[in-house]
Formats: sequence, C-alpha cells, structure tokens
Amino acid sequence: MNPPSVLALRQVTKSFGPVEVLHGVTLDLRAGAVLALIGENGAGKSTTMKILAGIEAPSSGQILLDGKEVSFGSLHDAEEAGIVMIHQEFNLAEQLTVEQNIFLGRELRKGWLLDKARMRRLTREYLARIDCHIDPDTPVAKLTNSDKQMVEIAKALSRDARVLVMDEPTAVLTGSETRILFEQVRALREQGTAILFTSHKLGEVAEIADTVTVLRDGTLVHDGPARDITEDEMATAMVGRDVSDLFPDKPAQAPEGEVLLRVEGLSVPGRAQDISFDLHRGEILGIAGLIGSGRTEAMEGLCGLRACSSTRIEIGGKPVSITRPGDALERGLCYLTEDRKLRGLLLDKGMRENLTLQALHKYGRVLIDTAAEERALDRAIGEFDIRAGSRTIAVGNLSGGNQQKLLLAKVMQSEPVILIVDEPTRGIDIGTKQQIYAFLRKLAAEGHGIVVISSEMQEVIGLSDRVMVMRSGRIAKTLSGDEITEDTIVRHAMGVGAGSTERVA
Amino acid sequence: MSYMKTLLAGCTALTLSTGAALAQDDETRVIGVSIPAATHGWAGGMNFHAQQTVERLEEVYPQLDFVLATASDAGKQVNDIEDMVATRGIDALVVLPFESDPLTPPVQSVAESGAWVTVVDRGLSVEGVEDLYVAGDNPGFGQVSGEFMVSQMPDGGKIVVLRGIPTTIDNERVEGFEQAIEGSGIEVIDMEHGNWNRDDSFNVMQDFLSKHPQIDAVWASDDDMAVGVLAAIDAAGRDDVQFVLGGAGMKELVKRVMDGDEMIPADVTYPPSMIATAIELTAVGLTSNAPVSGTFTIGSVLVTPENAEQFYYPDSPF
Amino acid sequence: MSVLGPVIALLVLIVVGTALNSNFLSAANITNVLARSAFIGIIAVGMTFVITAGGLDLSVGSMAAFIAGLMILVMNAALPVLGIGIPIILLGMAVALLAGIAAGLLNGFLITTLGIEAFIVTLGSMGIYRSLVTWLADGGTLSLDFGLRTFYRPVYFGGLFGISWPIIVFALTVIVGEVMMSRARFGRHCAAIGSNESVAHYSNVNVNRTRLMTYAMLGMLVGVATIMYVPRLGSASASTGVLWELEAIAAVIIGGTILKGGFGRVWGTVIGVLILSMIDNILNLTDLVSPYLNGAIQGVIIILAVILQREAKAKG
Repeated sequence: MNPPSVLALRQVTKSFGPVEVLHGVTLDLRAGAVLALIGENGAGKSTTMKILAGIEAPSSGQILLDGKEVSFGSLHDAEEAGIVMIHQEFNLAEQLTVEQNIFLGRELRKGWLLDKARMRRLTREYLARIDCHIDPDTPVAKLTNSDKQMVEIAKALSRDARVLVMDEPTAVLTGSETRILFEQVRALREQGTAILFTSHKLGEVAEIADTVTVLRDGTLVHDGPARDITEDEMATAMVGRDVSDLFPDKPAQAPEGEVLLRVEGLSVPGRAQDISFDLHRGEILGIAGLIGSGRTEAMEGLCGLRACSSTRIEIGGKPVSITRPGDALERGLCYLTEDRKLRGLLLDKGMRENLTLQALHKYGRVLIDTAAEERALDRAIGEFDIRAGSRTIAVGNLSGGNQQKLLLAKVMQSEPVILIVDEPTRGIDIGTKQQIYAFLRKLAAEGHGIVVISSEMQEVIGLSDRVMVMRSGRIAKTLSGDEITEDTIVRHAMGVGAGSTERVA
Repeated sequence: MSYMKTLLAGCTALTLSTGAALAQDDETRVIGVSIPAATHGWAGGMNFHAQQTVERLEEVYPQLDFVLATASDAGKQVNDIEDMVATRGIDALVVLPFESDPLTPPVQSVAESGAWVTVVDRGLSVEGVEDLYVAGDNPGFGQVSGEFMVSQMPDGGKIVVLRGIPTTIDNERVEGFEQAIEGSGIEVIDMEHGNWNRDDSFNVMQDFLSKHPQIDAVWASDDDMAVGVLAAIDAAGRDDVQFVLGGAGMKELVKRVMDGDEMIPADVTYPPSMIATAIELTAVGLTSNAPVSGTFTIGSVLVTPENAEQFYYPDSPF
Repeated sequence: MSVLGPVIALLVLIVVGTALNSNFLSAANITNVLARSAFIGIIAVGMTFVITAGGLDLSVGSMAAFIAGLMILVMNAALPVLGIGIPIILLGMAVALLAGIAAGLLNGFLITTLGIEAFIVTLGSMGIYRSLVTWLADGGTLSLDFGLRTFYRPVYFGGLFGISWPIIVFALTVIVGEVMMSRARFGRHCAAIGSNESVAHYSNVNVNRTRLMTYAMLGMLVGVATIMYVPRLGSASASTGVLWELEAIAAVIIGGTILKGGFGRVWGTVIGVLILSMIDNILNLTDLVSPYLNGAIQGVIIILAVILQREAKAKG
C-alpha cells in the first residue's frame, strides 16, 4: 500500500511562448518516500521542480496538495505550505553569515531586537544534525561549495519542510559528503518528509530512491519503483538509445612516446607544493583527489592564471616561463575551467562573443571580422553539436550541457596542443558526457596531450591512461594500467594505507 | 581697502584705536571667520580679502588669533562653527552665512555663549542676534542698476535679464531693479537664471538671441555672467544689443569701463571686501572700547569711465 | 537590446521644440546646441568605455577645470617666448592632452593596480582637481591673455564648411568611438570585463591593462574637450565643469549603456547628450514653466527616457 500523496502533479503542461516544454506530466510525492527525477539536461526537470515549488505556474493541469487542487501564487505560498526547494545555484546571500542565511526573512526576535543567541544555538543544532561543523558566524562567501550545500539543507531543516525538492544536491559534493547527505535524507524520510531530487549520478539514484521517474523531452517516459529498474535501463530511458559504452576505448598501451609537457617543482603558495609530472603525446592524464586537494589551483598556476613558482617547465622539450595566461596560450597550453558560469562564459552575451573571446586576435588585429566569427560559430555548432533555440540567445539561457560544449568549443579556438580540462562534465546529462568523452579521446588520438581533473571516480577511471592522485596540495601517487581502481584512488586521496609511506599533511 | 566713502569714518576709528589696542591686556583672544568657499568669482574675491585681512591683522594684533574656515554648503558651515566653539573657544565670530535659516540657530548659540558675533552680507532670520552687521545693499544694487538702464535708454527698449542662483539676494536685487525701471518704457522681455556662472549664462544668452530678434540691452546682474553674455553676443554677430551691464566690480570689467568700452559703459559695485571691513571692525571691537556695534551698510556705487580708476585693483583675483 | 527608447525621447523633444518656437530648427540654434553638447559629449564617449568595462569616473568635471586652468597658465607663461601664433596654441593643446592622459592614467593606476574602488578613487581626485584649480586661480578666475584669446577663438567659433570645430571634433570622436566599441577588440574586451571580470581573466583578456586604457582614454578626451572649451570664454575658474561628470554619466545611461557594465553603445550616448542639452535649450526658448522648475523637467525627462528603454527591452 502506497503512503498518501502529499504533493502531486496531474497532466501538467508548461509553455514558454509558443514552445511547450512539458507535455502532460503526472507524478506523486508521497510522505516518507524519495522520488528521483532524472533526465537529460533540457528534458524538463527544472521546470517540473519550479512548478512544484511555486516558482512557475503550470500552463494547464493541476497541482494537488493533500489531494486538493491548489495554485501557488509565489515561492512564498509554497513555503507556507511546507514545500522547500534547494536550488543548484545556491540561493544564499554571499555576504551574510551562515546563521543570518538560515534565518533570512524569518529572523527570531526578542521584543524589538533580534534574538541572536537563540538563532545561533539553533543553527548549530541544525548543522550538527547533518554532521557539518562550520561556525554559524562564517560569511557564506568563505564556504566551499559542499558547505554551502549543507547550509541549504540546514535551512530546509529549519523550515520543517513537508516536501523537500533538491536540484542536483550532490553535483558539487565529494563522496563522503554525499554519504552524509544521504544519511540525512534517510532520516528525513523516516520522519515522513516527501523528497524529490534530481541527479546525473545514476548510482546514487539506485542507492537512495524509492521511485524513479524519467523525463525525456518534456514527456514522462518511466515512472516506477527503483528496485525494478537497473542503472543501464535508466540511462537508456533518459537518452532514448543505448549508452552502455559511455567511455571510448583506451589504447591498449598507455602512450609513452614524446613528452609534451614536463612540470618540475610547481608550487602555488598555500595550495599546492612540489608538483612534478610528465604528459605524453596522445595521453589522457587524470587528476583525482578530494575537493580542496589543490588540483585546480596547481593547474591554474601552471597556466598563468594565478601566482606560482616552479623549478622547471618544458613544453615540447623547450623550457618555458609562464607568468600570464597569454604565455600559456602562445605555447599551446590551455585550461578549461571547472566553473563555466562564473569563470567560463559571459552569461549575458551571445554564443558568438563567447566563442571567440579567448582567441579574438585571430579575427582581426584591431577591428573584428564578424563574418569570420559567424563562420566559426557555424563550425563549432556543427562539430560540438551545440543546440540552442537561436544563435543570438544569451548563453545563460542554454542548458548546462550546451554551455559546456560551447565552453569546450571556446577553448579549442585557441588551438591548444595541451588541453587541461577541469570537471569537464559537471552537472551535465549522460548523452552530452558521452559526446565530450569521445571528443577528448579523439583529441588525444590526434596527438594532443590531455589532462582531466575530475571528482567523478567513474570518469577518472573510464577516461584516463594514467591517474595522478593529489592530497593536501601534493601528489600522493601516480597510477597506471591495472592499478587504476576506485579503491586505490580513494585510499591515496584520503591518505590511508596502500603501502605508501608518504606523510599525512 | 577703504575705497567706500561710507567706510572712511570706520577706518579712521580703526586707525586711531590700533595704538590703544596694543596697550590692552596680553590675554590671547580668538576670532573665528566662517565664509562660503570660493565657488564663483565674487566669493573668490571675498576669500582673497578675508585671507589678506587675517594675515595682516595677525601681525598688527599679536594678542589676536584667527581661525578661517571655508564651507562648500550650509551644513558644513554649521559644523565649522560648532568646531570653532568646541575646539578653539572663540571669543568672536565673523560669519557670512551660506543661507540665513540654517545658520541662525548655531550663530544664536554662539552669541548666547557670550562671544561677539559679526554677521556679513546675508542677515540672519532672527533680528538682534549679532553685535555687528556689515552688509551690502542688495535692493540698492538693483536700484542703481535700474536707474543706469533708464538713463541710458530714455526712450525705453527691450532688455533681457540674467539672474543669479535663486536666493533672497537675487530676489532683492531683481525687485530693486524692477522698481527702478517701472514706467520708464523699458520692457523686460525675458528672464532666466544664469547662476552667477559664465558657462550657464553663455548658454542662456545664446538661446535668448535665438528666441528674440531684437534685444536692445542686457542686465547680466553680475560680472561673471556678463563675460558669458558678451561671448555669446560676439559669437552670434548681433549688433542690436547696445550694451551689457554686469555687477560686483570684477577687475577685468572695471578695466573695460575705464577704457571706455561701448559694450560695457558701466558697472555696479558690490564689494567682496566687505568681509575685510567686518573682520577689521570685529578686531577693533574686541581689543578696544571703540563703539563698533550696530549695522554697517555698504552701498552699491555706479562705476563709470570717470571714476573707474578708484575701483580698479589689478592684484585682486576678482 | 532596446534601440527605440532614447531615439523616441529625442524625436519627441525635437517635435515639442519646433512646435514651441519656430527658431528651434534654425541653423544657428542647431549649431548652438550641438557645439555646447560637444564638451560633455566628447567626455561622455570616453565615459561609455569606462562604464562598459565596469568602472566609473566622477573626476572628469573637475579634471576639465584643472586642465583648462593649467593650459591657460602655461600659455600665458609661454606668451613672451613664443608670441601669438600657431606654436603656442599647439603647446596649449599638447599640455591639455598630456595632462588629461596623465590624470586618467593616475586614476586608472589607483583603480587597477592598487585595486581601490573606482568610486572612491575618482571621488577623491574630483576633490583634488577642484581644489587645485581654485588654488591656481587664487579662488578667482584664470583668464587667457586677451590677444591670445582672440587668436585662439576660431577653435570654438570657427569651422569648416559652416560646421563649427567642436561639432566636427565631436562627430569624429563619436565615429571612432562607435567603431572601437562595436567592431574592435578593445570594445569587445571592455564589454567582457564589465560582464564578468573572472571570465575575461580566464579568457586571456588583460583585465588591468584594458581598464587602465579606458581611464587613460577618458582622460585624453577630457583634454580634447578642454581644448574646445578654453577658446569659448578664455577663462577657467572653480566653477568650470561643475557637475559635468554627472551629466556625462547620465548621458551614457540614457543612451542604453548599462551602469554596472557589460554592455555599451556610443551612439546611444550621443542621443543621451543631445537629449540633455536640448531640454535646456527648449526651456530657455519658451516661457512654459517657471525657471525654478528647470531641474525638475530635466529629471522627469531623464527618467522617462530610461523607462522607455526598459519598456522596449521587455517587449523584446
């Protein structure tokens, strides 16, 4: 017998202008159950969640709360009804402290004054419940992404949510943080909270969900108990084709020919020390490690994006000195940032301006040849399969996957010999992931050197010829061939065992 | 300094009392001087005279200390005065109020504390606060200007008027002017604010020239504005305008009067040196028993080619 | 981006002006309005780049006054040596341009290299230049030697083919500025920096140098404006250029450039400048409202122009 439905959609459609993006979606959120809503980017997950949380109104169909039809005038109405949504782009005021954020808009008062002591105590309590030990007085701007996620969850806890809607809560979390989150989700489920979450990590879906609902192109294509569907079947339902071979084949032998890039003694003050490695022509080198292990900072330092020092850096056998991003680009070394929204793309500009920004000099010394830019955009759209409603749309309106493909096209404009990609598939759907993996392998096969930084274990393992594991700003171990297993990588990343003698920093 | 006939008496008293003053007690006394900053020509001249007078008097009266503060708005001036009382313990205050109303209460409290108060040019809103009031004659300024216009245009004619920044001073001048030309056949065909500013008056005059095909004369009411007006007339190449009358006694224009320039047949004084008079009289009042309290009005005088030389100060910035 | 708002506002003003006074469209009046717009206009073109790149410069008005004062002092001082002639005019122009570039570089250096807020830096330099010119003039007025002034005068009042020099220089500045903004790498880089500084940095745009260039360019254009300004009245004082900075910023925003940066258009700025000076002109040409209310009329029209822009944007 199913528990009662708390919040439900009945034949809901949603149109933006003439375009219908949701076609008659029906789903039930039940008390004490976790529903995983999965689908490719652009399948309609976000719109569905926004309708549930009262941010968008449906074009037709009904929303039922406890079986009665309701219409939410605003986010506020929905919150009143006990529905809380945690956004993927955090909804936190960066300059305020953790405590101020948690009580934002419903501050506790003692007479005319704020009851700071009580708010701080409650904040500690909420944070302790999710095993998060940050100071309530820390400004949110100083927190890592995972801590921000925890603050969002604490905020939801503080609101005694009956329905919790989470948009990709684990996208920015590490493995251990994800486990803590899931424990909390289970606890909430025990208490009878109805939970909806989305994720691109199908393993997680299988682990935590009671019900799996799959959307494809705005249509509900699967809705059933989680135990009745395998991960492969989920992926197939989402994409509409078989994606069991997500990763392209690796070459039988790890490429060991010409050294394209040699790094010796690279240090970024306070972030990474004494990083040395070689990258061969045709090789994909993975860098694994926990968030905060200095992977990103070391590579940004290497590419002249932040201050660093090194004993020696050679590209193509010649020693080079890199102090500005321009130095790196001139020598064919290019970095693709992990943060496409804040560092990668100008969200309020069109695709053309974004595509050519890094290599604008190719389009004219002083004046820009816009016709040539348009031709380049045509090529990029074709080569990277970028799907946008119109050519002039601001890229902030593109789906994550299309943004990522555009970003990849943008860095390829610099014609790099060595490409460093940081979290190349964060928050994008499985179909696009497959395309990006294939593209990276093709680049390597053409004689480029590729470095992939990733927090997704499957990605590191499936893609890399060798894997460099970093911990606390240092290289813990470099693995190759059969050594590349999830177990070994995690051990080195966490600094436990594996027969190594390196000290724990 | 003392080019005003009305001032001669005061200065004689001053000279006589200087010797006596030196014999007075040794106790150092502080005179605070609070004036608006040099944001336009006349105020610049006034600042110049205030500084010169302070420097000179500090030598003449070793037992006197001066604090000079310039303010860019009324609020800052109130702060200045409060600071002078609090940190310098002034025995006398010479103040040229930025605006009458906001400055009245703070000056009143200075007076109540027993200090000597001299108010210059702009009166306070409450009567009887100050010990000494040294003022220009704004209605008189307008009247002298108007009378000159009438004398130059006995058969009447069409004139345009440029006004200053909208203030009591400006209103009093314009009223005085209008009374003087009443019934003379002189018609004011347009009036706009040029804000005592050269650039603004240039623009206003350009537009007047576009708007009116015939303008016989211009009352620019201020020498800075007259400069802008002259440039605009020049640029338009119009020869219907017979002359421009400014005011205040800026040296460049006084020079042109002196040289017999037809466009600038006269000027009307409103001497920025009235601040010097006020400071000197205050110093006398503080150091001697000479009777200097009361009201001291400095009339506006018509400067003509005949008398221009005695109003020409090549060294002054104004 | 909306195109119509400011254009409609300008057209309405022209229609109103023509209806109220038949002289409004006369060649003389048009020349007056355009020539007067030139100072603010030339400065506003530079301001468009600064704002597009996410900056701000409050010091331009007092910078203009200071440069005018300096130029007059230098020219008067050089008079006994050079005499009246082309060389001394060229000297004055060189002084104005160099002083402008130097002042702009100084602002830019403090903002980019030392990383101080543009608002604070330029608020500070605004006070500094205003005081310096007051000090140079002893609180009074600095006047160019009379003979020199007569010789220099044609630079404001003269012209080519009946078009006066300030209008020609203004037009050239606008054309070059528009091409730089919409077609050159420099403009694209400015917009990228204003849109998102980090993205620009990660895309190999030299953020500091580009920003520095915008301030230096603005400083140079202030110098150009001063070269046109000095021959008009031949003088500079503490009241020269008061509030020019706000007029220039207002013109830029009315024209559709975004105050927080990321998007700018030079031709829009020109419309903004024309709207502002046309309002003044119309109010002077008519007796419709009390002159006490001039400021209010201006304020209403500025806000209306920006609302029109917003409305047009919402409609697509």
